[in-house]
Amino acid sequence: MADMADRILHRFNFAERIVHWVVGVTFVLLLATGLAFAYPALFWLTALLGGGPSARVLHPWVGVLFGIGMGFMIAIWIRDMFLSDVDWRWLRAMRAYATRDSANVPPAGKYNAGQKMFFWFQGLLAVVFVVSGVPLWFPEFFGSGLLQWMRLAHYLATLGGGLLLIVHVYLGTIAYPGTARAMIDGTVTARWARHHHPGWHEEQTRP
Amino acid sequence: MADTLSIRRVSATPDAYIPISALRSAGPSYAKLVDIGACIGCKGCEVACKEWNDLGVEPTANFGSYQSHKDLSPKTWLLMRFNEVEVDGNLNWLIKKDACLHCEDPGCLFACPAPGAIVQYTNGIVDFNQENCIGCQYCVTGCPFDIPRFDVHTRKVSKCNMCVDRVEAGLEPACVKTCPTNAISWGSKDDMLALADQKVETLNARGYDNAAVYNPAGVGGTHMMYVVPHGDRLADYSLPSDPTASPTPMTALGFLKRIGAYLMGFGVLGVVGHFLRYGPERLEEHEDHEPRGDTGAAA
Repeated sequence: MADMADRILHRFNFAERIVHWVVGVTFVLLLATGLAFAYPALFWLTALLGGGPSARVLHPWVGVLFGIGMGFMIAIWIRDMFLSDVDWRWLRAMRAYATRDSANVPPAGKYNAGQKMFFWFQGLLAVVFVVSGVPLWFPEFFGSGLLQWMRLAHYLATLGGGLLLIVHVYLGTIAYPGTARAMIDGTVTARWARHHHPGWHEEQTRP
Repeated sequence: MADTLSIRRVSATPDAYIPISALRSAGPSYAKLVDIGACIGCKGCEVACKEWNDLGVEPTANFGSYQSHKDLSPKTWLLMRFNEVEVDGNLNWLIKKDACLHCEDPGCLFACPAPGAIVQYTNGIVDFNQENCIGCQYCVTGCPFDIPRFDVHTRKVSKCNMCVDRVEAGLEPACVKTCPTNAISWGSKDDMLALADQKVETLNARGYDNAAVYNPAGVGGTHMMYVVPHGDRLADYSLPSDPTASPTPMTALGFLKRIGAYLMGFGVLGVVGHFLRYGPERLEEHEDHEPRGDTGAAA
């Protein structure tokens, strides 16, 4: 039993990890400088991209990287992200998941329904970020009325993305030890897989 | 930016953060009054503005108008617009002295995210401090009069500063000083409002029944006001009839930012609380239990 549990399973390949971290690092930079532009009390965060004027120049370019990363991410993961019957049951059992009532959490496949919803929300937000970000990048070509609505949309996406990030980082690190390594060297233990993604564990360990 | 004037507002800076040394006793509130009916279209004010502010020459070409340039620019802070409009069968120049109106409630300052890039003095002047400008152009978005202009080379925004350096020294702005017909007056806001009423009365007596003072309430009034002979034709003067310093999306944005700050703060507190309640999920403790779910996994 113990040796089975300590077996190493490969969860994310090199390309997936690169894409994840391109999106992750650019998003954190964008969030920090975006919040700096939204909240005067956080203006000092522009220092992350070299101060106010340079943050204004670089934020959109970092956004381009983020957009490209999101494009690849959607392309490589979308096939796995459609909700199955088990996922719908999982969503209804979210309370059990949040309170660590493991026995009442339907068995997830490679991704649980929470991760899938995270994927769809982040994908939607990326579209909002890009569509509203382009006019804010080149305001001289757009009317001020439109720009004001784009600022509102860009902020709403920031708020949504910020909240998602808080939960994502928490669950991926301290809440579930053994998870973060999946995005570092790409591996997890069989014990981890059996607990968090029983369906996927079964596929991976089937003789 | 003038250093010795009393400050009323600073962009992206709560009032409490304005250094107390800057908050000297409030002086008079000034205003410029432009009597469009008395303007002869000489453009002396444009030249005086260029000279005093050392803005340099911008080549222009004939584009079928008496106007010197097509539009304001980072180097042209004042432009006399000559709108050719037919009024009662006669061709009229409905002239507009296009420059910053120095709103009492400045939309540019409210929209600016860079601390100290826009300052409003207690005398009513709204001034850009390019040292602190980050070039985002949100002020352009926030201005209901389409005044600030972005310089693509310096990546800074500029506009009329009401010759703040002259005003600070007790002088009138350069355009006022140079106007040969006294179409531009300068004084305290109260005096200028009284003078404006007189000018409207005079115009009324001359048959301009719709003569009006342009001092729009939506931006709290302005520190450059106009007396327009045809007050019923504001659009023909290129003057917005109902400008506002707080348009709907910006009001909504301000409200959402407040809520958003709490949501993100509580989001962080929420996960910290969850962690303290449930801690890290240690899988060793689950060894003796069934795996998650009801199918069971091969083990």
